[in-house]
Amino acid sequence: MVIADELAAPTRTTGGSGSSRLSIKFDRSVLGLLPIFLFLGYFLLYPIASIISSSIHDNKHHLTLSLYGNLFSGNYRTAFTGSFKLAFYSMIVSGIAGAIICWAVVKTNGIVRTITSSAAGVLANTGGVPLAFMFIAAFGQEGLITKLLLNVFHWDLYGGSFDLYNFWGILLVYCFFQVPLMVIIFTPALENLRVEWVEANESLGGSKSQYFRHVLIPVLLPSFISACLLLFASAFSAFATAAAMSNGSIPLVPLFIGNLVNGNVIAGQENQGDAMAMGMVIVSLFVIAAYLLLLRVTRKR
Amino acid sequence: MKRELAWLDRVIFAFAAFFFIAPLIAAAEYSVRGYGNKGHTFANYSWIIHQLGFSAALWTSLRISIITILIVLVLVVPTVVYVHLGGHRYRRLLEIVCLLPIVIPVVSLAIGAQVAMPKNLQSTSYELCFFYVVVALPYVYRSLDIGLQSVALSTLVEASQSLGADWFKTLTMVIIPAIRSSTTGALFITFALSLGEYTLAVLLHFHTFPTWATNISQENIYGSIAISVTTLGGAWILLIFVAFLPRIKSLFARKERVA
Amino acid sequence: MRKQFVFGAVAAIAVALLPAVSAQSATADTTNWATCADVASCGGISALVKAAQAEGTLNITTVLRNWADYGDAEDAYQAAFGIHINDDNPDGGSSYEIKSIQTAPAAAQPDVVDIGASHIQQAMTGSTTGGSLFAPYKVQTWNDIPSLWKDPAGYWFGNYSGQIVIGYDAKLKVHPTKIKDLTNPAFKKVVGIAGDPTGAQEALISVMAATVANGGTFDNVQKGFDFYHGLKTSGNLSGATADSTHIATGNPKVWLDYSFNALGTEQLGSQIGKTIQYVKPSDAAVQGTPYIFGINATAPHPAAARLWVEFLMSEKKGHLAKDLAGDEAANVAAGTLDGGKLFNSLMGGQNIFQLGGAVPIEIAAMKAKKLLVPSPATIFQPNPAADKLTLQQPSVAQQTTATALLTKLWPTL
Repeated sequence: MVIADELAAPTRTTGGSGSSRLSIKFDRSVLGLLPIFLFLGYFLLYPIASIISSSIHDNKHHLTLSLYGNLFSGNYRTAFTGSFKLAFYSMIVSGIAGAIICWAVVKTNGIVRTITSSAAGVLANTGGVPLAFMFIAAFGQEGLITKLLLNVFHWDLYGGSFDLYNFWGILLVYCFFQVPLMVIIFTPALENLRVEWVEANESLGGSKSQYFRHVLIPVLLPSFISACLLLFASAFSAFATAAAMSNGSIPLVPLFIGNLVNGNVIAGQENQGDAMAMGMVIVSLFVIAAYLLLLRVTRKR
Repeated sequence: MKRELAWLDRVIFAFAAFFFIAPLIAAAEYSVRGYGNKGHTFANYSWIIHQLGFSAALWTSLRISIITILIVLVLVVPTVVYVHLGGHRYRRLLEIVCLLPIVIPVVSLAIGAQVAMPKNLQSTSYELCFFYVVVALPYVYRSLDIGLQSVALSTLVEASQSLGADWFKTLTMVIIPAIRSSTTGALFITFALSLGEYTLAVLLHFHTFPTWATNISQENIYGSIAISVTTLGGAWILLIFVAFLPRIKSLFARKERVA
Repeated sequence: MRKQFVFGAVAAIAVALLPAVSAQSATADTTNWATCADVASCGGISALVKAAQAEGTLNITTVLRNWADYGDAEDAYQAAFGIHINDDNPDGGSSYEIKSIQTAPAAAQPDVVDIGASHIQQAMTGSTTGGSLFAPYKVQTWNDIPSLWKDPAGYWFGNYSGQIVIGYDAKLKVHPTKIKDLTNPAFKKVVGIAGDPTGAQEALISVMAATVANGGTFDNVQKGFDFYHGLKTSGNLSGATADSTHIATGNPKVWLDYSFNALGTEQLGSQIGKTIQYVKPSDAAVQGTPYIFGINATAPHPAAARLWVEFLMSEKKGHLAKDLAGDEAANVAAGTLDGGKLFNSLMGGQNIFQLGGAVPIEIAAMKAKKLLVPSPATIFQPNPAADKLTLQQPSVAQQTTATALLTKLWPTL
């Protein structure tokens, strides 16, 4: 644990010039974090520890990593690939769409701004069956918008290959909570773009495209990528929405976990389901770590 | 960079509005359909109120939500304030820790909780409060963090202390008012989340409003859609109200000054 | 102040002692219902009814009201005996039920579970000592349960199964009458399946039915998989699960379903202004493995649990909730109505399942004893070719083989 490292490492005494002896000082400022660490340790890490424990034991209670090994082959691998693909494309689409909307949002203030930011907060938290139903009610076979497009614009949404329940349809539904999330995360970065930089660029004789290439992109890119990483983690671990939108004809990790842990057909393999869930967590943790690393880079500016 | 909205921005807003509002309107239209899809009626919204157990279930969820926001107020808010004031070096650490709940699937948390938590904690529905705090943590932290960043906290604290206020007075009369809008926003997100949370409640065998509503509307699809529209719409209206609160307050303050 | 304190203390002690006093004055019911293995040796049905009423509550789990007409069964039980039913997580699966017995706090555990046949093994070895999670109990109609679907010692027994039928929106231009009709291009994008065959038993049995329709046998469901694979390639297969929410919103419009879901879905249809119809397919008469009852060995309400299974395994013709006067429970509690008499006057659960379109497990005995109520004619569209077929049912072993095969194949659909 990081805390332990910080405590164990020799620290300078605050304010002093640093004694020549290497003394391990207890940094009292960490005590302020103790309540929340204890809270999370008990109510988050402890339950997850039991899941981890179940995922490293097989049905006969022998310690084993085979359940994790299974994730790299066969249909579990297909599920992870499917979830990866969905999260990746969702990240790209929502990232770009969200950034464009952000661009417009930062130019507003007052009432419009308040409404959009509170809307983003609510929309980013929607998911599961309510979200799926809303989309079906709007864009489904007999949806409101589908009928509108058919009757008013004579455009049969379902005449072609559009389908709310194939890969791209599910991606569309994901955008509903991904794009607001992007708006929430990325707005501060755009707001930090200083007007002085535009003026500096102009006074140095730079054109709009040069501003774009040499100022805007280098400044925004790290924040954009880190925001996208957060989108990826969020899409990858989206559980309830995937379950509500797919019947299994598109392989996704949450659906497999549901079959193993809450199903009616396969019995006694909850450990494998727990291993899959932990697999999901590990992937998301890697992505979040990358996000935080990038954030450190941008904060230095 | 021009700061007024160009026509392109308006087009962007129009598209975004369409994409996000259309599903809400479609679900709302579905929820006001009459029996047999004949005509429209608001009866689906009043239906739920007359069902047996409505007030008991709602009261249970309200109690749980209130305790949850109290825990957030007592535990999380001071910690985030602290990290901005004195514990700067741990700010990154707290940020990492508060992001963790996003990656943990709620289903796994529920399964783990059943095995790990002591049985007498599991027999009271207040167990949910603690887990709701965990689930809401990323959003609460983010809201508070942004609010605290935009306030010159150390200046305020120095000024308050130089005027002779002790720590408690500084906290309650200077810091909390300064971050009032982001705190209220964080508390309202927590409240909305606790009120509408289904997965943890059902997997831990508790009877809250969402589980009761799902149960009772098994045979009434219009009713169940009305409930989810109310939950979503209600949360949004609450958040907008909270966001406009300072505006309304300053409106009244101005009137008083004029009068 | 002191007087108030003393008075308060006396009152508190009195209140605390009151239950002890009243318990002693109640009829000395010394039966330990948690170990009762059959009702005759524990005092008879009347004693069971009284004990169940004293418990006052029944915990069940993962029961949907319009699944095999459980709604009518719940209503009758609650109205007749005055026992409140707590239904936990209606959408849950068998794994959830077993997990609940193992990990839920004592008062929240289900009293009786209704699990898929594939989970019998897990339940029988799932206790902390490696033994059964269930308590052995043989209902009054034990001999009428086929020996294939009951445990010799009484730990578990089958209750009902469903036949695979075709559901569809009547607005479709073509009405299907056999499973092979689902390949019709008129059903582009709207053919549904009840979920993932490795998670939903209904979907698994649907694939088995498709196998039979295409000339295969239960031992190898490859032909069933190929059928659905063909549906996906031709664009007929919808990605939407064939459950009530999706059917209500218009996709899917044709799907394979358990016969006991027909009634509920048709009622849903009238609610939303659609005409949903069901028909028995003429190219396959496939019955799923039955669902299985088990009484929780650590049930919080053991008497109510046993009364519930006695009720659901009863073959009698009689009253439903709407035929009751409403005062029966009070009369039994007061002693003016015999609990056993009340029990015998109710429509037995097996007949309620029959009314719901399920195949009751005791159907052969009920037909012989002329106790079976006629299956409601209005549920299924007439299809004489289908009625001529004999019902086939897979064994648990065949179901396990099929699951293993589909676990490998289904992600490649």
